[in-house]
Amino acid sequence: KMQATRHTNNISEPLMQQSTTLSPPVLASPPSPKLGLRNFKRISRTEDSSVYPIPGRAPDTLHMRVREGSKIRNLLRFASARMQEEGRDSSGRALRQVVFTGSGRGVTKTITCVEILKRKVAGLHQVSKLYYKTVNEVWEGPQQGAPGMTMQRTIPAICILLSKDPLDPQEPGYQSPQILNRSASISSDETKNSSFITQYCGCKNMKIVCSFDMPQHVIIL
Amino acid sequence: MTEQRTPGMSAAPPTAPAHPDSGSQAVEMDPVEYTLRKRLPRKLPKRRNDVYVNMKTDFRAQLARCQKLLEGGGHREICVHGLGLAINRAINIALQLQASSQGALQLAANTSTVELVDDLEPEDPDEAGEPMTRTRNNSAIHIKVFYPDP
Repeated sequence: KMQATRHTNNISEPLMQQSTTLSPPVLASPPSPKLGLRNFKRISRTEDSSVYPIPGRAPDTLHMRVREGSKIRNLLRFASARMQEEGRDSSGRALRQVVFTGSGRGVTKTITCVEILKRKVAGLHQVSKLYYKTVNEVWEGPQQGAPGMTMQRTIPAICILLSKDPLDPQEPGYQSPQILNRSASISSDETKNSSFITQYCGCKNMKIVCSFDMPQHVIIL
Repeated sequence: MTEQRTPGMSAAPPTAPAHPDSGSQAVEMDPVEYTLRKRLPRKLPKRRNDVYVNMKTDFRAQLARCQKLLEGGGHREICVHGLGLAINRAINIALQLQASSQGALQLAANTSTVELVDDLEPEDPDEAGEPMTRTRNNSAIHIKVFYPDP
């Protein structure tokens, strides 16, 4: 048993580093990354931009790609305008859903956007998914004519679906619409419903409510 | 100057820009006269299977701790929490756990907003500056890593 554990540790080690941009690349060719890469030039970077398949997502959802340098006010101005206009979509339907995706250092920003939008537009159901995104990079050596080096790196990414229509509460990562008045105590109904863990933050009248959907363990603290 | 009083779960680096939705009560502040002290985030409830990820502890140590809880500790599920900059690390840990379990583990991520309090202390006690506090918000993630029921 011990050996097995150690073995898995070894396997995960190459992927283990933290930072997204520094995450150790899976090298297609063997040159030592530290020594060689300084002279190498990245000539292309392609990433898989498809949205993570979330059950319950409509095909024509607005997709917001949050990057490291994106301005939250720009993203939110656009997204909240689209979400708040009723029935004035080009196709004549109101926008019911929006997907936010972000990877690497853009993950935090993605979550912040979602959290702010949830406060702006009340009653949004949420499903969050985590995954690794693969990025292919082609690097060119210092000598002209030297064969390029292809690198595949994986970076952590998040994909969050916000929907005005109810989503499947059994879906992993589902969050029901937030209670707007955060200082209000959880109603007895929801306590009975038992899909809530309340986490008292202790701060004045602050309380985080996160629904982890654990029907068998109710922890009301 | 910005500094943190004590180590903890706090993740925002000292140079982090002000949180975008730091609320309406923006205080006009002369940076020369006040010291900004970040209080620790509120103590959160901690069960045996809760892991609060920070940016100070070594990444491998935190990953190993989670693995130990799931493999040796006999827990069917653990909760990995990350705040601010540590969100990335929390996600990374969760995805690593899932990858090394060969698909046996599932993830369920929830997001939330955590209110943080900063203290503004006047540099020069002789001047009329009053100690102030400021609240701001930061994003957090809570990832349930679990073996699905057969």
